[in-house]
Formats: sequence, C-alpha cells, structure tokens
Amino acid sequence: MATSPVTRAAGRVAVPVLGLFWLAVTTVPFLFMVMTTFKTQQESYASSVWALPEGLNFVNYADVLSGPFLAYLKNSVMVVVISVLLIVLISAMAAYAFARMRFRFNEALFGLIVAGMIVPIHITLVPIYLMTRDMGLYDSPFALVGPYVATSLPISVFILTEFMRQIPKELEEAARLDGCGPFAIFFKIFLPLSGPGLSTVAIYNAIMLWNEFIFAYVLTSSTSTRTLPLAIWDYQGQYSSNIPAILAVVTLTSLPLVVAYAFGQEKIVKGMMAGSVKG
Amino acid sequence: MTSITLSGVNKSFGANFPVISGVDLKIDDGEFCVFLGPSGCGKSTLLRMVAGLETAYSGEIRIGDRVVDKVEPADREVAMVFQNYALYPHMSVYDNMAFGLRQAKTPKDEIDRRVREAARILQIEPLLDRMPKALSGGQRQRVAIGRAIVRQPKVFLFDEPLSNLDAALRVHMRSEIATLHRNFPAASMIYVTHDQTEAMALADKIVLLHAGKDMLKHGSIAQVGKPLDLYHRPRNLFVAGFLGSPTMNFIEASFAGQQADGARVALKSGEEIVVPVDGSTLAAGAAVTLGVRPEHLAPVAASGAALGAQTLTRRVSAVEHFGEYSFVYLDGGTPAPLIAKVAGDGGFKAGDSASFAAPADCCHLFDADGIALSHL
Ligand SMILES: Nc1ncnc2c1ncn2[C@@H]1O[C@H](COP(=O)(O)OP(=O)(O)OP(=O)(O)O)[C@@H](O)[C@H]1O
Ligand SMILES: [Mg+2]
Repeated sequence: MATSPVTRAAGRVAVPVLGLFWLAVTTVPFLFMVMTTFKTQQESYASSVWALPEGLNFVNYADVLSGPFLAYLKNSVMVVVISVLLIVLISAMAAYAFARMRFRFNEALFGLIVAGMIVPIHITLVPIYLMTRDMGLYDSPFALVGPYVATSLPISVFILTEFMRQIPKELEEAARLDGCGPFAIFFKIFLPLSGPGLSTVAIYNAIMLWNEFIFAYVLTSSTSTRTLPLAIWDYQGQYSSNIPAILAVVTLTSLPLVVAYAFGQEKIVKGMMAGSVKG
Repeated sequence: MTSITLSGVNKSFGANFPVISGVDLKIDDGEFCVFLGPSGCGKSTLLRMVAGLETAYSGEIRIGDRVVDKVEPADREVAMVFQNYALYPHMSVYDNMAFGLRQAKTPKDEIDRRVREAARILQIEPLLDRMPKALSGGQRQRVAIGRAIVRQPKVFLFDEPLSNLDAALRVHMRSEIATLHRNFPAASMIYVTHDQTEAMALADKIVLLHAGKDMLKHGSIAQVGKPLDLYHRPRNLFVAGFLGSPTMNFIEASFAGQQADGARVALKSGEEIVVPVDGSTLAAGAAVTLGVRPEHLAPVAASGAALGAQTLTRRVSAVEHFGEYSFVYLDGGTPAPLIAKVAGDGGFKAGDSASFAAPADCCHLFDADGIALSHL
C-alpha cells in the first residue's frame, strides 16, 4: 500500500518519540532503585526521594552481602540451572515425539499437555505442599525443581513442537537411510537444529523461574534453603524501614538478568523471535 | 546382485485411497531405470517403498535375492538423493558425506578415503569444509550425490534430483548423472522424474505409471520398456500421448477392413489411411483412433490427383517458427488442431491448404478402449 509523505514523516517522528517514552517508563524506576541504594538510611529520611545520593556509598551492599544473601543466590542458581536443563531436555524429547512420531493418541496427548497451560498454579499449591511434605522434601531447595519443571513443560513443549514441525521431513529420512534410529535422529539432527527454539525455551523459563516466588514461599522456610525472590521478602522483615538496603537486595537480585541480557541480547531476541514467527 | 524385483505390490494411504496397484517389475543388475508419469501417480511413493521409507504395502520387494520388506532402510544397501537435497544444515560438506559411515562405525581412515574419493569424482574437493548454506544449488546437488556414493550402495535412488535447478544446469547435471552411472556400472539406479526428456536421455528402461481411474482399471504400470520402444510402440493412448512433445496427434476414424499390408481406416474427412497393424479382431466400422506424431507428418509438395495414398490435406491455421523447426497447426476433422513439426521455416502460412504424408510405419492405431493394435 502506498503511504502518503505526511504519514511517513509522522511515522519517522512518532516512532523514536514513542521509543524514548517507553525507554523512560522502563528505566526511570530502575535508575531510581540503583540510585537510592547508594544512600544511607538517614539520608533516605532526610532528603527528598528524588535527590541524588551524597556519594557512591556501598554500605548497603556491604551490609546485604555480609548477611545470608550468597546462600539465597546459591540456591537460586542451583534450582534454576537444574530445572532449566530438565525442562529443555524433557520438552525437546516430548516435542520430537509430538512433531514427528505417529502414534494413536498423539493429538489428544498434545492437546492435553497444552491445556495444562490454563491451570492456575495457585490451585495446585496445597496438593503440592502436601506431596512435598510426604516425600520429605519440604524445606529443601530441591523441593522446587519438581513443580518448576512441571509447570514450565506445557508452554515449552508447545513452543518446541511447533519449532520441530518446521524441520524438513527429508532430513529425518536421510538420517534413517544413514542408519539412525529415533534416538540418534533426535540427538544428532533435531537437537542441534532446534538451537534457536531451545534457547527461547531456556531463556524464557530461566527468567520466569529466577523470579518465581509463590512455590518458593510455600515449599521452603529456612534462610539456608530459600531462593532470591524470598530474600527480598525476608529482608523486608529484617530491614523493615531501611529502604536503601531493601533496594540493594532487589538490585543484586536483578543484576544477573541485566548482565545476561547485556551480553546475550542478540541471542535472546533472536531466540524469542524464532519461537514466535510461525505459531 | 543388485537387481530389484517388485511382485504384486499395492499401496494405499488409508483404507480407500489406493496409490499403487498391481506392480510387477524387474530391474536388472546395473540397470538405469526411470519411473516416469504425471504428478501424483505414485512415482515417489514407489521409490520410497524400495528405500524402506514407506511401509505398510502388500506384495514383495527384493533387492538381489533378499526380500527386504522387513529390512530397515539403512540395511537395504540403498542410497537416496532427495529433490531438496536434504543436506544436514549443521554439518560441513565433509561431515554430511561422512555421517552415514560414522553411524556404521566404519574406521576413520576408510571414511576419509571414501569421502575424498567421492569429492574427487564430483569435483567438490575445495568445498569439503563449507557448510551447505554456503553452496549453490548445483554444488548442493553434488554433495547429495556424494553422500550417496560414499555408502557404496547396491542401488541408487533419485527422486527428481534436478527439478530445483535452472534449465542449463539441469542439462549439465543430467550428463553428470549419466557419467555416474558409467562409473558405477554394478549398481542399479532408479530415477524418478516427470520430465520425459530426462527419462529418454538417461534410461535403460522406462517405467511409465498412470494415475487415477486408469491405475484402478489397469494397474499402476502403463508400460515398461526401452525409451525408444515406448516412443515407437506405445501400448495404449496414455503412453502415446505422454511421450513426445508436442504430443501425438489423435484422429477419430473408423475401421474399414483388413488387407495384407495392414488395417484400412477411414477418416471422418474422407481420406483412407493404411496402418500396418493387425486389425483382424475389429468389426467393420468399429471406432478407432489413428495416432501420428507431429515430427512424422512430412509435407508433400504435390496436389490434387498427384497426391499419393497416406496423405492428409488441411487448412493451416497458424505457424510457430523456432528457427530450427516450425510447428504448423492444421484445422479440420479433430477437436484439437493437428500439429506438424517441419524442418526450418517450412514455407507455410496461415490460410494455406497444405498436404502431409503419414508414413505407414509411423502410424499407430488404437481400439475403442485405447489399446494399441499390434504392428505386423
Ligand atoms: N503420506 C501420505 N498420506 C496420504 N497420501 C499421500 C501421502 N503421500 C503421498 N500421498 C498421495 O499419494 C499419491 C502419490 O504421491 P507421490 O508423491 O508418490 O506422487 P508422485 O508421482 O511422486 O508425484 P510428483 O510428480 O508430484 O512428485 C498422491 O495422490 C499423494 O497425494
Ligand atoms: Mg514425487
């Protein structure tokens, strides 16, 4: 369609303006948070909330890091890494079966798994709590792995199945002629070719689980077993009125995601696109 | 020991959708066999059944002496070249060719030797480290063929390997495939195409398949034979019309009696033509179809009473010049115009009346069921 010069000029102006507006909306709270962490508790009471800190004051960070923060961090990293690895492996295998194998209940099972996406996790909390307790896993970081993997599988299987359906059938047939069974086809052809889909799934789930609160809150209770989102919660009690210290916890918690995004931006965007273009 | 035998093979997709019916076929050791037919007639399906990629058929397939119906594709000693090449996109050219051998746990130096030998034959040595996406269509095709060669198969299977290439490259690769066949004389080859030129150029044996109602009525195979046998002695109207371009002229006629040198047929336009076939099974006046290829209609200079037998005189409706030859379109007596292919520009122009001789030996006669009457 032909667009008039006026419309096009308006577009040239409007797009950057809207972009800058969005940048402000998203970065101002973040900058405010980082800025406030450099204030002392007294400063935060004395001056206006928008005032700049008097200097780069790391006392809040020192304070937070001298506490149990690193234990929370260790738990978060461990739980997220184990869960994401399991999610990627299991959903990729399931996706291969759904995308390529012919068996009787293929479509029905796929539908059932996808329908799992609409179950709100909150209604599963009590049963999962009871099961976890019966299994003797209550108040262990590993208690989180099961629910994390289970609740992430539907969307992951869905994304990867769509992805693997796009892989040409002839590649699989060529591999069969080259002597591959289903497992060799999966590991040597489908897994390497699903790279962008796998990274979408890994990144998406890593972000979700890194921030996951409710299961962690219900299934763990001690400082030594809890993950980072609960650190914020726990510190809120401890530093009830020390706003800069709480914000230092939040900053440290989101730092890994910020760093990961800074270094892997291109990959992350590509991964998200790859999963979404053909749905 | 590389022959392929199909006996009583039928295949359908789902209960009510037969695709292949009643195929009995023997492809000899080292033979180059082309499956030819219109789109959807089941050429690929039949090829994939030999490869073992299509199962659940009835009948029996043998490679050499071995019944392979229950044998895995990898163990059939066949190699296949796909229409879209199906190179593994995440592997280099070398790894693409080595993959099957590695799966079979071939020793490393043996793999290397075979891959380099195949690369040498196909002249793709400089490409061995490239990834498939950095190759042109023709180069990809060579790699796909290389992947087949290294396996030293008993049977090469090609499914329309040239159809993604442009016209010039297609002719070139066609001759390379012919060379490949000469280099591996022991292996037999099955080559699927719907391009009759490719089939005529490459085949030792053509298997022409038909689709739809004809397939249900007569079985999948329309005719099997050497390319020139199919061209000169088509068994029925379908084969006669499928091979040759432009397609054979068909003229409705009636049987006027058998004489020593053949069957006399009367055209609706009044001419009588003698076709050297055995028409003794026909009743007088039976409806028949006369077939003459455009390239066999020879212009006759004489006119009126000087005209010999076996000639047709028609009004020229259009002429197409191609320099080397021309197509002359002739009106009258048939629903579609007759076409004559004449050398050079022929000197015809629209509106003229022109006469053409149909040499007796180049005429074909088909009965009411479309079956060719056998030549004397
Ligand atoms: N997996 C399948 N399920 C159902 N029908 C199929 C399947 N594969 C092929 N067919 C049908 O079988 C028939 C023969 O298909 P096939 O691919 O063998 O044709 P072909 O002769 O190779 O045609 P083309 O020249 O177009 O490649 C077609 O009508 C096709 O629709
Ligand atoms: Mg085909």
